[in-house]
Amino acid sequence: MILRLALASLAARALTVAMTTLAIALSVALFLGVEKVRTGAKASFADTISGTDLIVGARSGSVQLLLYSVFRIGNATNNVTWESYLDIAARPEVEWIVPISLGDSHRQFRVMGTTEAFFERYRYRQGRSLEMAEGEGLGDLFDAVVGAEVAATLGYSVDDPIVVSHGLASFTDHDDHPFRIAGVLERTGTPVDRTVIVSLEAIEAIHVDWRGGAQIPGRSTPAETLRGMDLTPGAVTAALVGVESPLQTFALQRAINEYPEEPLLAVLPGVALQELWAIVGVAETALLGVSAMVVVTALIGMMATLFSSLNERRREMAIFRAMGARPLTILALLVLEAMLTAALGAGLGLGLLYAGLLVAQPLVDAAFGLWLPIEPPALRELWVLLAVVAAGAIVSLLPAIRAYKLSLADGMMVRT
Amino acid sequence: MKSTLALTAAAALLATTALAEDTRQLDAHEHGTGALDIAIDGTTVAMELRVPGADIVGFEHAAESDEDRAAIAEALTTLSTPTDLFGLSDAAGCTVEAATADLETEGAEDHDHDHGDHTEEHGHDDHGHDDHGHEDHAEEAEGATHSEFHAEYTHDCTAPEELGTITFAYFDLFEGAQELEVQVVTGDGAQAFEVTRDAPTLDLGGLF
Repeated sequence: MILRLALASLAARALTVAMTTLAIALSVALFLGVEKVRTGAKASFADTISGTDLIVGARSGSVQLLLYSVFRIGNATNNVTWESYLDIAARPEVEWIVPISLGDSHRQFRVMGTTEAFFERYRYRQGRSLEMAEGEGLGDLFDAVVGAEVAATLGYSVDDPIVVSHGLASFTDHDDHPFRIAGVLERTGTPVDRTVIVSLEAIEAIHVDWRGGAQIPGRSTPAETLRGMDLTPGAVTAALVGVESPLQTFALQRAINEYPEEPLLAVLPGVALQELWAIVGVAETALLGVSAMVVVTALIGMMATLFSSLNERRREMAIFRAMGARPLTILALLVLEAMLTAALGAGLGLGLLYAGLLVAQPLVDAAFGLWLPIEPPALRELWVLLAVVAAGAIVSLLPAIRAYKLSLADGMMVRT
Repeated sequence: MKSTLALTAAAALLATTALAEDTRQLDAHEHGTGALDIAIDGTTVAMELRVPGADIVGFEHAAESDEDRAAIAEALTTLSTPTDLFGLSDAAGCTVEAATADLETEGAEDHDHDHGDHTEEHGHDDHGHDDHGHEDHAEEAEGATHSEFHAEYTHDCTAPEELGTITFAYFDLFEGAQELEVQVVTGDGAQAFEVTRDAPTLDLGGLF
């Protein structure tokens, strides 16, 4: 009965109600959207590396090492000499070790020199390994394997030639030694998608004719000669390490951190990620706080319209009362109307969120490499929606109590 | 040189000392904060504790008086009894397999070994991290000295996944200890925790 009344009453003021609903819907969509991006970013970061026990690089900060070695953000302060790399590789605790050499680029993508072991050992998203979408791994010296996004953005497929540029933002190309794309990797949702992978030796090979950051004019060693050369690298940027047993992780980490010949740093990826998240966490809390305030603002807006509608509805309320409606009924009617508006807003907000996600998902993925999954609302999100409806009921209590008190006298008295 | 490094931690320390002329590095050292590393593999739960001397006995200079020596000896005894320090849940069914504790002095050590003028039968061959011999150099070492208690425990647990919450009576036993930075490594990865005097529990529930 009250429900029917409430619905009819809302329908009668459709325009005002629609505006209020829209305000709530937008604020709810914003809040849920921020939450979605936040959890999506966190999951995507956490999923980038798994199965690696230690990351080894030059001594800097654990977050920095994680960022440049795994996320290709920023640069290494120093390289790790090949001697140190071999020393670490020879330690009994080490089950496997994968060197990483960064520094060159192809268009906007980083080129990473590594070994075959990278394809076997690199794991993401709780232990998934890399799969080839087409082609195969590194065979020849001048073979390259590209990530899914490199292939998609630049329209590459197997057997296409690819020229690596020297440095990260440079106009000098290693065009005397073009690579051949040997394989394209499946999409992983990790920075590997945006990486061109070549062998460690190839990185050395293309720099044979280079001295002091520039090519020696007129000199270009033919590819055949390069194949016959000793292309042991002088240094690597970082290394991913797997230990024999978790029990040895700390001992190995300490040994590397105290390695006397060279200042090295070994970090536990999980712990470094947590540190990174502690830094980013402040910003995300602020963002979440702001969007929560937007929801509160929308609800207060609803309270304001309710207050002003009380004035219009003086007579209506009085007539209800005259017809025998108890003051409580009036209160219930107003609260119910507010709850319906809030629920409508929350539902619409959820709809907006999914519509937005559908549009934004490919764009966000392309621009930031951030995959926002479109899945049914999680329990947490449903709680948020419920909280919005409950908050709607609470803010409507104030005008409702006012109506409860005044409904009879206010409407019956003739005011001049 | 390289072959020396592959040896044990003690040997590595010795090597560092031998190289004192060209290698200068010291570990970070923060009073009030200790580090506890926990590694879990199968049924083995290994713990390694490193705490500044100031947290445990209240001083870090070489033991000068009998009281100092007694305090250190008592601390080492306490630190060798992990069951008194950390409360592992009964459900995990853990038994202590091994527990060792020693005191390492950093900074003063270079002096000692370089000069090599402290006498005694127990001097050079064991290059100890104990409190021996340092009193000879108390004056020159003071200020530069930091000492660190180091303990290792190995537990064998029938059900490590039942570890759940670990309680830290450690903070009741050592007045100077304020905080432990805990790192836990399992086959699935690593995680960091912070256990403080005000919140002396560690919840490992999320790990399994």
